[in-house]
Amino acid sequence: MSDLAAPQFTLDVSGTPRVPFGRLVRVEWRKMLDTRAGIWLLGITAGLLALISAIVILIVALADVSPPSATDWLNIMTIPVSMLVPVIAITIVTQEWSQRTAMVTFALESSRLRVVLAKLVAVMALGAATIVLAAVLGLVGNVVGAALAGTDANWNVTVGAFGWALTTQILYLLMGFGFGLLLLSSPGALALYYVYVWILEGGVIIPGIMYVLWIAFDWAQAIMPWISMRLAMLPFQIGDGDAQDLQGEFGLKLDTGALGIAHVITSVLIWVGIPLLLGTWRLMRAEVK
Amino acid sequence: MITVDRLTVSYGGFTAVDDVSFTAQPGRVTGFLGPNGAGKSTTMRVMVGLTPATSGHVTIGGLRYQDIPNPGRHVGTLLDASAQHAGRTGREILAIGAQTMGLPKTRVDEMLELVGLSDSESTRRLRNYSLGMKQRLGIAHALLGDPSVLILDEPANGLDPAGIRWMRGLLKGYADRGGTVLLSSHLLHEVEQIADEMILIGLGRIVAQGDKKSLLAGARGADVALVTSLDNAALGAALAVDGYLVEQAGGGLRVTATTEQVGRAALSAGVVLTDLRSGGAGLEDLFLELTSSTQRDALPNGVPA
Repeated sequence: MSDLAAPQFTLDVSGTPRVPFGRLVRVEWRKMLDTRAGIWLLGITAGLLALISAIVILIVALADVSPPSATDWLNIMTIPVSMLVPVIAITIVTQEWSQRTAMVTFALESSRLRVVLAKLVAVMALGAATIVLAAVLGLVGNVVGAALAGTDANWNVTVGAFGWALTTQILYLLMGFGFGLLLLSSPGALALYYVYVWILEGGVIIPGIMYVLWIAFDWAQAIMPWISMRLAMLPFQIGDGDAQDLQGEFGLKLDTGALGIAHVITSVLIWVGIPLLLGTWRLMRAEVK
Repeated sequence: MITVDRLTVSYGGFTAVDDVSFTAQPGRVTGFLGPNGAGKSTTMRVMVGLTPATSGHVTIGGLRYQDIPNPGRHVGTLLDASAQHAGRTGREILAIGAQTMGLPKTRVDEMLELVGLSDSESTRRLRNYSLGMKQRLGIAHALLGDPSVLILDEPANGLDPAGIRWMRGLLKGYADRGGTVLLSSHLLHEVEQIADEMILIGLGRIVAQGDKKSLLAGARGADVALVTSLDNAALGAALAVDGYLVEQAGGGLRVTATTEQVGRAALSAGVVLTDLRSGGAGLEDLFLELTSSTQRDALPNGVPA
Protein backbone atom coordinates (compact mmCIF):
# COMPACT_ATOMS: atom_id res chain seq x y z
CA MET A 1 0.00 0.00 0.00
CA SER A 2 2.62 2.49 1.08
CA ASP A 3 4.37 2.24 -2.27
CA LEU A 4 1.25 3.08 -4.23
CA ALA A 5 1.60 5.94 -6.63
CA ALA A 6 -1.93 6.04 -8.00
CA PRO A 7 -5.32 4.78 -6.91
CA GLN A 8 -5.70 1.05 -7.40
CA PHE A 9 -8.85 -0.10 -9.14
CA THR A 10 -7.81 -3.71 -9.47
CA LEU A 11 -5.77 -5.82 -7.11
CA ASP A 12 -2.45 -7.05 -8.39
CA VAL A 13 -2.19 -10.45 -6.80
CA SER A 14 0.55 -11.82 -9.06
CA GLY A 15 3.20 -11.31 -6.37
CA THR A 16 1.25 -12.96 -3.55
CA PRO A 17 1.18 -16.74 -3.36
CA ARG A 18 -1.57 -18.28 -1.27
CA VAL A 19 -0.78 -19.02 2.38
CA PRO A 20 1.28 -22.25 2.36
CA PHE A 21 -0.41 -25.20 4.05
CA GLY A 22 2.55 -25.78 6.38
CA ARG A 23 2.19 -22.25 7.70
CA LEU A 24 -1.50 -22.80 8.39
CA VAL A 25 -0.59 -25.93 10.36
CA ARG A 26 2.03 -24.05 12.38
CA VAL A 27 -0.47 -21.28 13.13
CA GLU A 28 -3.07 -23.81 14.29
CA TRP A 29 -0.43 -25.54 16.43
CA ARG A 30 0.42 -22.20 18.00
CA LYS A 31 -3.23 -21.46 18.69
CA MET A 32 -3.52 -24.68 20.72
CA LEU A 33 -0.73 -23.58 23.04
CA ASP A 34 -1.01 -19.81 23.40
CA THR A 35 -3.92 -19.55 25.86
CA ARG A 36 -4.13 -20.51 29.50
CA ALA A 37 -6.94 -22.92 28.67
CA GLY A 38 -4.74 -24.69 26.11
CA ILE A 39 -1.72 -24.85 28.40
CA TRP A 40 -3.84 -26.18 31.26
CA LEU A 41 -5.38 -28.87 29.09
CA LEU A 42 -1.98 -30.08 27.92
CA GLY A 43 -0.54 -29.77 31.41
CA ILE A 44 -3.40 -31.82 32.85
CA THR A 45 -2.99 -34.47 30.16
CA ALA A 46 0.74 -34.83 30.76
CA GLY A 47 0.28 -34.55 34.53
CA LEU A 48 -2.45 -37.19 34.60
CA LEU A 49 -0.33 -39.62 32.57
CA ALA A 50 2.60 -39.14 34.97
CA LEU A 51 0.35 -39.30 38.02
CA ILE A 52 -1.33 -42.53 36.97
CA SER A 53 1.95 -44.30 36.27
CA ALA A 54 3.33 -43.02 39.60
CA ILE A 55 0.28 -44.33 41.49
CA VAL A 56 0.51 -47.75 39.87
CA ILE A 57 4.22 -47.99 40.72
CA LEU A 58 3.50 -46.82 44.26
CA ILE A 59 0.89 -49.54 44.72
CA VAL A 60 3.33 -52.15 43.42
CA ALA A 61 6.02 -50.87 45.78
CA LEU A 62 3.85 -50.64 48.91
CA ALA A 63 1.38 -53.48 48.51
CA ASP A 64 2.64 -56.95 47.88
CA VAL A 65 1.04 -57.42 44.48
CA SER A 66 2.46 -58.79 41.30
CA PRO A 67 3.50 -55.96 38.97
CA PRO A 68 1.21 -55.06 36.05
CA SER A 69 2.13 -56.60 32.73
CA ALA A 70 2.70 -54.57 29.58
CA THR A 71 -0.92 -55.29 28.55
CA ASP A 72 -2.11 -53.85 31.87
CA TRP A 73 0.01 -50.77 31.31
CA LEU A 74 -1.43 -50.36 27.83
CA ASN A 75 -4.96 -50.59 29.19
CA ILE A 76 -4.22 -48.15 32.00
CA MET A 77 -2.48 -45.54 29.88
CA THR A 78 -5.17 -45.45 27.20
CA ILE A 79 -7.66 -44.11 29.77
CA PRO A 80 -6.16 -40.62 30.26
CA VAL A 81 -5.30 -40.42 26.56
CA SER A 82 -8.86 -41.22 25.49
CA MET A 83 -10.20 -38.80 28.09
CA LEU A 84 -8.21 -35.73 27.21
CA VAL A 85 -6.75 -35.85 23.68
CA PRO A 86 -10.19 -35.74 22.01
CA VAL A 87 -11.02 -32.70 24.18
CA ILE A 88 -8.19 -30.88 22.44
CA ALA A 89 -9.52 -32.09 19.08
CA ILE A 90 -12.99 -30.78 19.95
CA THR A 91 -11.90 -27.41 21.29
CA ILE A 92 -9.52 -26.62 18.41
CA VAL A 93 -12.69 -26.40 16.31
CA THR A 94 -15.38 -25.19 18.70
CA GLN A 95 -13.22 -22.51 20.32
CA GLU A 96 -13.22 -20.63 17.01
CA TRP A 97 -17.00 -20.31 17.42
CA SER A 98 -17.27 -19.70 21.15
CA GLN A 99 -14.54 -17.03 20.99
CA ARG A 100 -15.73 -15.91 17.53
CA THR A 101 -12.20 -15.99 16.15
CA ALA A 102 -13.53 -17.83 13.08
CA MET A 103 -14.25 -14.37 11.65
CA VAL A 104 -10.55 -13.56 11.66
CA THR A 105 -9.34 -17.05 10.76
CA PHE A 106 -11.54 -17.33 7.68
CA ALA A 107 -10.89 -13.73 6.64
CA LEU A 108 -7.17 -14.56 6.48
CA GLU A 109 -7.68 -17.93 4.75
CA SER A 110 -10.92 -18.04 2.84
CA SER A 111 -10.63 -21.74 1.98
CA ARG A 112 -12.32 -23.19 5.04
CA LEU A 113 -11.40 -26.71 3.97
CA ARG A 114 -7.68 -25.84 4.18
CA VAL A 115 -8.21 -24.43 7.66
CA VAL A 116 -10.04 -27.58 8.75
CA LEU A 117 -7.27 -29.79 7.34
CA ALA A 118 -4.59 -27.65 8.99
CA LYS A 119 -6.39 -27.99 12.31
CA LEU A 120 -6.65 -31.74 11.81
CA VAL A 121 -2.93 -32.11 11.05
CA ALA A 122 -2.00 -29.96 14.05
CA VAL A 123 -4.22 -31.83 16.48
CA MET A 124 -3.07 -35.20 15.09
CA ALA A 125 0.51 -34.18 15.74
CA LEU A 126 -0.39 -33.19 19.28
CA GLY A 127 -2.30 -36.45 19.76
CA ALA A 128 0.71 -38.39 18.46
CA ALA A 129 3.00 -36.59 20.90
CA THR A 130 0.65 -37.44 23.78
CA ILE A 131 0.48 -41.09 22.76
CA VAL A 132 4.29 -41.25 22.54
CA LEU A 133 4.48 -39.78 26.05
CA ALA A 134 1.94 -42.33 27.31
CA ALA A 135 3.87 -45.18 25.65
CA VAL A 136 7.19 -44.04 27.15
CA LEU A 137 5.66 -43.72 30.61
CA GLY A 138 4.07 -47.17 30.27
CA LEU A 139 7.38 -48.61 29.13
CA VAL A 140 9.28 -47.08 32.01
CA GLY A 141 6.51 -48.06 34.41
CA ASN A 142 6.69 -51.66 33.30
CA VAL A 143 10.45 -51.79 33.83
CA VAL A 144 10.34 -49.97 37.18
CA GLY A 145 7.35 -51.99 38.43
CA ALA A 146 9.08 -55.26 37.63
CA ALA A 147 12.32 -54.11 39.22
CA LEU A 148 10.48 -53.10 42.42
CA ALA A 149 8.73 -56.47 42.57
CA GLY A 150 12.00 -58.22 41.81
CA THR A 151 10.65 -60.02 38.76
CA ASP A 152 11.37 -59.85 35.07
CA ALA A 153 9.22 -57.36 33.17
CA ASN A 154 6.39 -59.02 31.32
CA TRP A 155 6.35 -57.85 27.69
CA ASN A 156 3.13 -59.55 26.67
CA VAL A 157 1.91 -56.82 24.28
CA THR A 158 1.90 -57.91 20.67
CA VAL A 159 2.44 -55.49 17.82
CA GLY A 160 -1.14 -56.19 16.81
CA ALA A 161 -2.57 -55.27 20.21
CA PHE A 162 -0.53 -52.09 20.34
CA GLY A 163 -1.60 -51.24 16.81
CA TRP A 164 -5.28 -51.66 17.65
CA ALA A 165 -4.92 -49.56 20.81
CA LEU A 166 -3.25 -46.85 18.75
CA THR A 167 -5.96 -47.10 16.09
CA THR A 168 -8.67 -46.72 18.74
CA GLN A 169 -7.06 -43.58 20.14
CA ILE A 170 -6.71 -42.05 16.68
CA LEU A 171 -10.34 -42.89 15.92
CA TYR A 172 -11.45 -41.26 19.18
CA LEU A 173 -9.46 -38.17 18.28
CA LEU A 174 -11.06 -38.05 14.82
CA MET A 175 -14.46 -38.64 16.37
CA GLY A 176 -13.99 -35.71 18.75
CA PHE A 177 -12.88 -33.53 15.83
CA GLY A 178 -15.96 -34.62 13.85
CA PHE A 179 -18.32 -33.93 16.77
CA GLY A 180 -16.74 -30.49 17.15
CA LEU A 181 -17.33 -29.68 13.47
CA LEU A 182 -20.84 -31.06 13.55
CA LEU A 183 -22.05 -29.24 16.65
CA LEU A 184 -19.72 -26.19 16.64
CA SER A 185 -20.24 -26.03 20.40
CA SER A 186 -17.80 -27.18 23.08
CA PRO A 187 -20.34 -28.35 25.68
CA GLY A 188 -22.45 -30.19 23.10
CA ALA A 189 -19.52 -31.95 21.44
CA LEU A 190 -17.87 -32.84 24.77
CA ALA A 191 -21.13 -34.26 26.13
CA LEU A 192 -21.70 -36.33 22.99
CA TYR A 193 -18.12 -37.63 23.11
CA TYR A 194 -18.23 -38.65 26.77
CA VAL A 195 -21.67 -40.21 26.46
CA TYR A 196 -20.39 -42.35 23.61
CA VAL A 197 -17.01 -43.32 25.05
CA TRP A 198 -17.93 -43.73 28.71
CA ILE A 199 -21.63 -44.60 28.78
CA LEU A 200 -22.31 -46.40 25.50
CA GLU A 201 -18.94 -48.03 24.87
CA GLY A 202 -17.47 -48.23 28.35
CA GLY A 203 -13.89 -49.12 29.15
CA VAL A 204 -11.84 -51.83 30.73
CA ILE A 205 -12.98 -50.93 34.22
CA ILE A 206 -16.64 -49.98 33.75
CA PRO A 207 -18.47 -51.72 30.91
CA GLY A 208 -20.75 -49.53 28.81
CA ILE A 209 -24.38 -50.01 27.86
CA MET A 210 -23.62 -51.48 24.44
CA TYR A 211 -21.14 -53.93 25.94
CA VAL A 212 -23.63 -55.08 28.58
CA LEU A 213 -26.42 -55.50 26.03
CA TRP A 214 -24.07 -57.41 23.76
CA ILE A 215 -23.15 -59.85 26.53
CA ALA A 216 -26.69 -60.22 27.85
CA PHE A 217 -29.05 -60.42 24.90
CA ASP A 218 -29.10 -62.54 21.79
CA TRP A 219 -30.68 -59.82 19.68
CA ALA A 220 -27.94 -57.38 20.65
CA GLN A 221 -25.18 -59.77 19.64
CA ALA A 222 -26.04 -59.36 15.97
CA ILE A 223 -26.59 -55.59 16.12
CA MET A 224 -24.04 -54.13 18.53
CA PRO A 225 -20.85 -54.91 16.56
CA TRP A 226 -22.31 -52.86 13.69
CA ILE A 227 -22.82 -49.76 15.81
CA SER A 228 -20.10 -50.02 18.45
CA MET A 229 -16.51 -49.40 17.38
CA ARG A 230 -15.23 -51.12 20.50
CA LEU A 231 -17.26 -54.29 19.97
CA ALA A 232 -16.42 -54.31 16.27
CA MET A 233 -12.69 -54.16 17.03
CA LEU A 234 -12.80 -56.46 20.04
CA PRO A 235 -12.37 -59.72 18.08
CA PHE A 236 -9.16 -58.33 16.53
CA GLN A 237 -7.71 -57.03 19.80
CA ILE A 238 -8.67 -59.72 22.25
CA GLY A 239 -6.21 -62.32 23.55
CA ASP A 240 -6.86 -65.99 22.80
CA GLY A 241 -7.72 -66.80 26.43
CA ASP A 242 -10.29 -64.04 26.73
CA ALA A 243 -11.77 -64.95 23.37
CA GLN A 244 -12.34 -68.53 24.52
CA ASP A 245 -14.00 -67.23 27.70
CA LEU A 246 -16.40 -65.00 25.79
CA GLN A 247 -17.20 -67.65 23.25
CA GLY A 248 -17.50 -70.44 25.81
CA GLU A 249 -19.31 -68.75 28.71
CA PHE A 250 -21.52 -66.32 26.86
CA GLY A 251 -21.84 -68.14 23.57
CA LEU A 252 -20.67 -65.01 21.75
CA LYS A 253 -19.43 -65.17 18.21
CA LEU A 254 -16.27 -63.17 17.50
CA ASP A 255 -15.91 -62.38 13.83
CA THR A 256 -12.47 -61.66 12.51
CA GLY A 257 -13.31 -62.51 8.93
CA ALA A 258 -15.04 -60.42 6.28
CA LEU A 259 -18.03 -59.89 8.57
CA GLY A 260 -15.74 -58.61 11.33
CA ILE A 261 -14.07 -56.19 8.95
CA ALA A 262 -17.51 -55.03 7.77
CA HIS A 263 -18.42 -54.38 11.43
CA VAL A 264 -15.32 -52.22 11.89
CA ILE A 265 -15.90 -50.25 8.70
CA THR A 266 -19.59 -49.65 9.43
CA SER A 267 -19.15 -48.59 13.07
CA VAL A 268 -16.25 -46.30 12.18
CA LEU A 269 -18.32 -44.75 9.40
CA ILE A 270 -21.19 -44.10 11.80
CA TRP A 271 -19.15 -42.49 14.58
CA VAL A 272 -16.17 -41.02 12.73
CA GLY A 273 -16.81 -40.84 8.99
CA ILE A 274 -20.30 -39.37 9.00
CA PRO A 275 -19.66 -36.73 11.71
CA LEU A 276 -16.48 -35.66 9.91
CA LEU A 277 -18.21 -35.40 6.54
CA LEU A 278 -21.40 -33.73 7.76
CA GLY A 279 -19.42 -31.48 10.10
CA THR A 280 -17.08 -30.33 7.34
CA TRP A 281 -20.06 -29.75 5.08
CA ARG A 282 -21.71 -27.68 7.81
CA LEU A 283 -18.59 -25.63 8.44
CA MET A 284 -18.14 -24.93 4.73
CA ARG A 285 -21.64 -23.48 4.52
CA ALA A 286 -22.03 -21.89 7.94
CA GLU A 287 -22.40 -18.16 8.26
CA VAL A 288 -19.55 -16.79 10.34
CA LYS A 289 -20.56 -13.95 12.64
CA MET B 1 -12.03 -0.70 -5.24
CA ILE B 2 -15.01 -2.52 -3.74
CA THR B 3 -17.96 -3.22 -6.01
CA VAL B 4 -21.24 -4.40 -4.56
CA ASP B 5 -23.57 -5.51 -7.31
CA ARG B 6 -27.27 -6.10 -6.64
CA LEU B 7 -26.55 -7.84 -3.38
CA THR B 8 -29.41 -9.53 -1.54
CA VAL B 9 -29.14 -11.58 1.65
CA SER B 10 -32.28 -13.26 2.99
CA TYR B 11 -32.82 -15.39 6.07
CA GLY B 12 -36.00 -17.33 5.47
CA GLY B 13 -38.62 -14.63 5.02
CA PHE B 14 -36.46 -11.82 6.38
CA THR B 15 -34.41 -9.79 3.93
CA ALA B 16 -31.41 -8.30 5.72
CA VAL B 17 -29.83 -6.80 2.59
CA ASP B 18 -32.14 -5.93 -0.27
CA ASP B 19 -30.75 -5.35 -3.77
CA VAL B 20 -27.82 -3.20 -2.66
CA SER B 21 -25.35 -1.81 -5.20
CA PHE B 22 -22.53 0.65 -4.64
CA THR B 23 -18.82 1.09 -5.12
CA ALA B 24 -16.11 2.24 -2.76
CA GLN B 25 -13.47 4.03 -4.82
CA PRO B 26 -9.73 3.97 -4.27
CA GLY B 27 -8.27 7.18 -2.90
CA ARG B 28 -11.48 7.92 -1.04
CA VAL B 29 -13.05 7.18 2.29
CA THR B 30 -16.53 5.77 1.83
CA GLY B 31 -18.86 5.96 4.81
CA PHE B 32 -21.49 3.28 5.19
CA LEU B 33 -24.21 4.76 7.36
CA GLY B 34 -27.38 3.41 8.80
CA PRO B 35 -29.23 2.73 12.02
CA ASN B 36 -28.68 -0.48 13.98
CA GLY B 37 -29.82 -3.55 12.07
CA ALA B 38 -29.86 -1.80 8.70
CA GLY B 39 -27.70 -4.46 7.05
CA LYS B 40 -24.28 -2.82 7.20
CA SER B 41 -22.48 -5.64 8.99
CA THR B 42 -24.16 -8.30 6.87
CA THR B 43 -23.03 -6.54 3.69
CA MET B 44 -19.48 -6.31 5.03
CA ARG B 45 -19.42 -9.99 6.00
CA VAL B 46 -20.50 -10.91 2.46
CA MET B 47 -17.55 -8.85 1.14
CA VAL B 48 -15.06 -11.13 2.87
CA GLY B 49 -16.92 -14.37 2.24
CA LEU B 50 -18.11 -14.98 5.79
CA THR B 51 -21.80 -14.74 4.91
CA PRO B 52 -23.13 -16.26 1.69
CA ALA B 53 -25.04 -13.94 -0.64
CA THR B 54 -28.55 -15.01 -1.57
CA SER B 55 -28.13 -13.25 -4.91
CA GLY B 56 -25.82 -10.63 -6.41
CA HIS B 57 -22.12 -10.47 -5.68
CA VAL B 58 -19.23 -8.45 -4.37
CA THR B 59 -15.79 -8.01 -5.90
CA ILE B 60 -12.73 -6.35 -4.45
CA GLY B 61 -10.36 -4.96 -7.04
CA GLY B 62 -12.18 -7.09 -9.62
CA LEU B 63 -11.76 -10.34 -7.70
CA ARG B 64 -14.06 -12.38 -5.54
CA TYR B 65 -12.65 -12.50 -2.00
CA GLN B 66 -12.04 -16.26 -2.14
CA ASP B 67 -9.91 -15.75 -5.28
CA ILE B 68 -7.55 -13.35 -3.53
CA PRO B 69 -4.45 -15.28 -2.41
CA ASN B 70 -3.28 -14.48 1.12
CA PRO B 71 -6.16 -12.00 1.39
CA GLY B 72 -4.83 -10.27 4.51
CA ARG B 73 -2.07 -8.77 2.33
CA HIS B 74 -4.62 -7.05 0.12
CA VAL B 75 -7.73 -6.46 2.18
CA GLY B 76 -7.59 -5.38 5.82
CA THR B 77 -10.72 -6.19 7.78
CA LEU B 78 -12.06 -5.25 11.17
CA LEU B 79 -15.53 -6.72 11.48
CA ASP B 80 -15.84 -7.02 15.24
CA ALA B 81 -13.10 -5.92 17.60
CA SER B 82 -14.41 -8.26 20.30
CA ALA B 83 -14.23 -11.33 18.05
CA GLN B 84 -10.82 -12.39 19.37
CA HIS B 85 -9.86 -14.98 21.95
CA ALA B 86 -10.30 -13.34 25.37
CA GLY B 87 -7.38 -15.33 26.75
CA ARG B 88 -4.79 -14.18 24.21
CA THR B 89 -2.67 -11.10 24.68
CA GLY B 90 -2.99 -8.28 22.18
CA ARG B 91 0.55 -8.93 21.00
CA GLU B 92 -0.16 -12.63 20.49
CA ILE B 93 -3.30 -11.85 18.46
CA LEU B 94 -1.24 -9.67 16.11
CA ALA B 95 1.57 -12.24 16.03
CA ILE B 96 -0.84 -14.96 14.88
CA GLY B 97 -2.11 -12.68 12.12
CA ALA B 98 1.42 -11.75 11.07
CA GLN B 99 2.49 -15.39 11.02
CA THR B 100 -0.51 -16.41 8.90
CA MET B 101 0.24 -13.65 6.40
CA GLY B 102 3.95 -14.49 6.39
CA LEU B 103 5.09 -11.15 7.81
CA PRO B 104 8.20 -10.51 9.93
CA LYS B 105 7.71 -10.25 13.70
CA THR B 106 8.83 -6.62 13.63
CA ARG B 107 5.57 -5.79 11.89
CA VAL B 108 3.71 -6.47 15.15
CA ASP B 109 5.71 -3.83 17.02
CA GLU B 110 5.26 -1.36 14.19
CA MET B 111 1.49 -1.78 14.28
CA LEU B 112 1.30 -1.58 18.07
CA GLU B 113 3.19 1.68 17.92
CA LEU B 114 1.01 2.98 15.09
CA VAL B 115 -2.22 2.46 17.03
CA GLY B 116 -0.75 3.67 20.30
CA LEU B 117 -0.83 0.50 22.37
CA SER B 118 2.05 0.47 24.84
CA ASP B 119 4.32 -2.50 25.58
CA SER B 120 2.58 -3.25 28.86
CA GLU B 121 -0.87 -2.96 27.28
CA SER B 122 0.14 -5.31 24.48
CA THR B 123 1.00 -8.08 26.94
CA ARG B 124 -2.36 -7.88 28.68
CA ARG B 125 -5.01 -10.43 27.79
CA LEU B 126 -7.87 -9.24 25.62
CA ARG B 127 -10.47 -9.77 28.35
CA ASN B 128 -8.77 -6.94 30.23
CA TYR B 129 -8.99 -4.55 27.30
CA SER B 130 -11.46 -1.67 27.15
CA LEU B 131 -13.59 -1.43 24.02
CA GLY B 132 -11.41 1.45 22.80
CA MET B 133 -8.25 -0.64 23.20
CA LYS B 134 -9.90 -3.53 21.36
CA GLN B 135 -10.74 -1.17 18.51
CA ARG B 136 -7.13 0.04 18.33
CA LEU B 137 -5.94 -3.56 18.30
CA GLY B 138 -8.50 -4.40 15.61
CA ILE B 139 -7.29 -1.52 13.46
CA ALA B 140 -3.70 -2.68 13.97
CA HIS B 141 -4.76 -6.18 12.86
CA ALA B 142 -6.47 -4.80 9.76
CA LEU B 143 -3.36 -2.81 8.82
CA LEU B 144 -0.86 -5.65 9.47
CA GLY B 145 -0.59 -6.87 5.91
CA ASP B 146 -0.23 -3.37 4.45
CA PRO B 147 -3.42 -3.87 2.41
CA SER B 148 -4.74 -1.56 -0.30
CA VAL B 149 -8.37 -1.99 0.76
CA LEU B 150 -9.74 -1.51 4.26
CA ILE B 151 -13.14 -2.76 5.42
CA LEU B 152 -13.94 -1.52 8.93
CA ASP B 153 -17.22 -2.16 10.73
CA GLU B 154 -17.93 0.50 13.36
CA PRO B 155 -14.23 1.19 13.98
CA ALA B 156 -14.93 4.33 16.02
CA ASN B 157 -17.20 2.50 18.43
CA GLY B 158 -15.77 2.86 21.92
CA LEU B 159 -12.97 5.24 20.93
CA ASP B 160 -12.69 8.43 22.94
CA PRO B 161 -12.89 11.79 21.10
CA ALA B 162 -9.10 11.93 20.79
CA GLY B 163 -9.13 8.39 19.46
CA ILE B 164 -11.78 9.22 16.89
CA ARG B 165 -9.73 12.20 15.71
CA TRP B 166 -6.64 9.98 15.50
CA MET B 167 -8.49 7.37 13.47
CA ARG B 168 -9.86 10.04 11.16
CA GLY B 169 -6.33 11.25 10.41
CA LEU B 170 -5.07 7.72 9.92
CA LEU B 171 -7.77 6.73 7.44
CA LYS B 172 -7.61 10.03 5.61
CA GLY B 173 -3.88 9.62 5.10
CA TYR B 174 -4.46 6.06 4.01
CA ALA B 175 -6.97 7.09 1.33
CA ASP B 176 -4.71 9.95 0.22
CA ARG B 177 -2.04 7.36 -0.56
CA GLY B 178 -4.45 5.62 -2.91
CA GLY B 179 -6.10 3.12 -0.59
CA THR B 180 -9.77 2.23 -0.56
CA VAL B 181 -11.47 2.71 2.79
CA LEU B 182 -14.99 1.57 3.61
CA LEU B 183 -16.13 2.22 7.14
CA SER B 184 -19.53 1.79 8.67
CA SER B 185 -21.16 3.69 11.47
CA HIS B 186 -24.54 4.36 12.94
CA LEU B 187 -23.32 7.76 14.11
CA LEU B 188 -23.30 10.42 11.45
CA HIS B 189 -20.86 12.79 13.11
CA GLU B 190 -18.21 10.08 13.18
CA VAL B 191 -18.34 9.73 9.44
CA GLU B 192 -19.39 13.17 8.25
CA GLN B 193 -15.98 14.78 8.61
CA ILE B 194 -13.93 12.00 7.10
CA ALA B 195 -16.01 10.38 4.39
CA ASP B 196 -15.66 11.65 0.83
CA GLU B 197 -18.60 9.56 -0.19
CA MET B 198 -21.54 8.30 1.85
CA ILE B 199 -23.87 5.37 1.43
CA LEU B 200 -27.02 5.63 3.55
CA ILE B 201 -28.77 2.36 4.25
CA GLY B 202 -31.97 1.58 6.10
CA LEU B 203 -33.85 -1.72 6.41
CA GLY B 204 -31.43 -3.36 4.02
CA ARG B 205 -32.00 -0.84 1.23
CA ILE B 206 -29.81 2.01 0.09
CA VAL B 207 -31.78 5.21 0.65
CA ALA B 208 -29.21 7.70 -0.62
CA GLN B 209 -25.60 7.88 -1.77
CA GLY B 210 -23.21 10.54 -2.91
CA ASP B 211 -20.81 13.08 -1.45
CA LYS B 212 -21.96 15.38 1.32
CA LYS B 213 -22.75 18.29 -1.00
CA SER B 214 -24.86 16.36 -3.47
CA LEU B 215 -26.69 14.58 -0.68
CA LEU B 216 -27.63 17.91 0.90
CA ALA B 217 -28.57 19.42 -2.44
CA GLY B 218 -30.97 16.62 -3.15
CA ALA B 219 -32.39 16.61 0.32
CA ARG B 220 -34.89 19.46 0.23
CA GLY B 221 -36.62 20.97 -2.78
CA ALA B 222 -37.34 24.45 -1.45
CA ASP B 223 -34.66 26.72 -0.03
CA VAL B 224 -35.08 28.04 3.46
CA ALA B 225 -33.23 30.96 5.03
CA LEU B 226 -33.14 32.02 8.66
CA VAL B 227 -32.68 35.75 9.07
CA THR B 228 -32.53 38.24 11.92
CA SER B 229 -32.34 42.00 11.34
CA LEU B 230 -32.66 45.27 13.19
CA ASP B 231 -36.17 45.67 11.72
CA ASN B 232 -37.77 42.30 11.22
CA ALA B 233 -41.17 43.75 10.49
CA ALA B 234 -39.93 45.85 7.56
CA LEU B 235 -37.82 43.07 6.16
CA GLY B 236 -40.69 40.59 6.49
CA ALA B 237 -43.02 42.93 4.65
CA ALA B 238 -40.48 43.46 1.87
CA LEU B 239 -39.98 39.73 1.45
CA ALA B 240 -43.72 39.06 1.47
CA VAL B 241 -44.15 41.63 -1.29
CA ASP B 242 -41.54 39.74 -3.30
CA GLY B 243 -43.71 36.65 -2.93
CA TYR B 244 -41.73 34.68 -0.35
CA LEU B 245 -43.39 32.88 2.51
CA VAL B 246 -42.35 34.48 5.81
CA GLU B 247 -42.96 33.29 9.32
CA GLN B 248 -41.69 34.13 12.79
CA ALA B 249 -38.98 31.84 14.09
CA GLY B 250 -37.67 32.72 17.53
CA GLY B 251 -36.09 36.17 17.42
CA GLY B 252 -35.97 36.19 13.63
CA LEU B 253 -37.73 35.10 10.47
CA ARG B 254 -37.90 31.88 8.53
CA VAL B 255 -38.19 32.58 4.80
CA THR B 256 -38.65 30.19 1.87
CA ALA B 257 -35.91 31.83 -0.14
CA THR B 258 -32.18 31.47 -0.68
CA THR B 259 -29.87 33.48 1.54
CA GLU B 260 -28.91 35.51 -1.54
CA GLN B 261 -32.54 36.44 -2.23
CA VAL B 262 -33.02 37.53 1.38
CA GLY B 263 -29.81 39.57 1.25
CA ARG B 264 -30.94 41.39 -1.88
CA ALA B 265 -34.36 42.09 -0.35
CA ALA B 266 -32.67 43.53 2.75
CA LEU B 267 -30.38 45.65 0.60
CA SER B 268 -33.25 47.19 -1.34
CA ALA B 269 -35.34 47.64 1.84
CA GLY B 270 -32.36 49.23 3.60
CA VAL B 271 -32.59 46.91 6.62
CA VAL B 272 -29.43 45.96 8.55
CA LEU B 273 -28.97 42.18 8.85
CA THR B 274 -27.48 40.78 12.05
CA ASP B 275 -27.72 37.10 11.14
CA LEU B 276 -28.39 35.29 7.88
CA ARG B 277 -27.93 31.59 7.25
CA SER B 278 -29.32 28.69 5.34
CA GLY B 279 -32.04 26.90 7.25
CA GLY B 280 -31.95 23.87 5.02
CA ALA B 281 -31.70 20.43 6.46
CA GLY B 282 -28.35 19.42 7.89
CA LEU B 283 -26.90 16.06 7.14
CA GLU B 284 -28.18 14.77 10.44
CA ASP B 285 -31.75 15.74 9.55
CA LEU B 286 -31.34 14.18 6.16
CA PHE B 287 -30.00 10.99 7.69
CA LEU B 288 -32.89 10.76 10.12
CA GLU B 289 -35.42 11.64 7.46
CA LEU B 290 -34.17 9.08 4.98
CA THR B 291 -34.00 6.32 7.51
CA SER B 292 -37.02 7.41 9.57
CA SER B 293 -39.26 4.67 8.26
CA THR B 294 -36.61 2.20 9.38
CA GLN B 295 -35.87 3.71 12.77
CA ARG B 296 -36.67 1.85 15.92
CA ASP B 297 -37.67 5.10 17.59
CA ALA B 298 -40.30 6.61 15.33
CA LEU B 299 -40.13 10.35 14.76
CA PRO B 300 -43.78 11.43 15.02
CA ASN B 301 -43.85 14.28 12.49
CA GLY B 302 -41.07 13.28 10.20
CA VAL B 303 -38.09 15.41 10.99
CA PRO B 304 -38.23 17.93 13.78
CA ALA B 305 -37.14 21.31 12.42
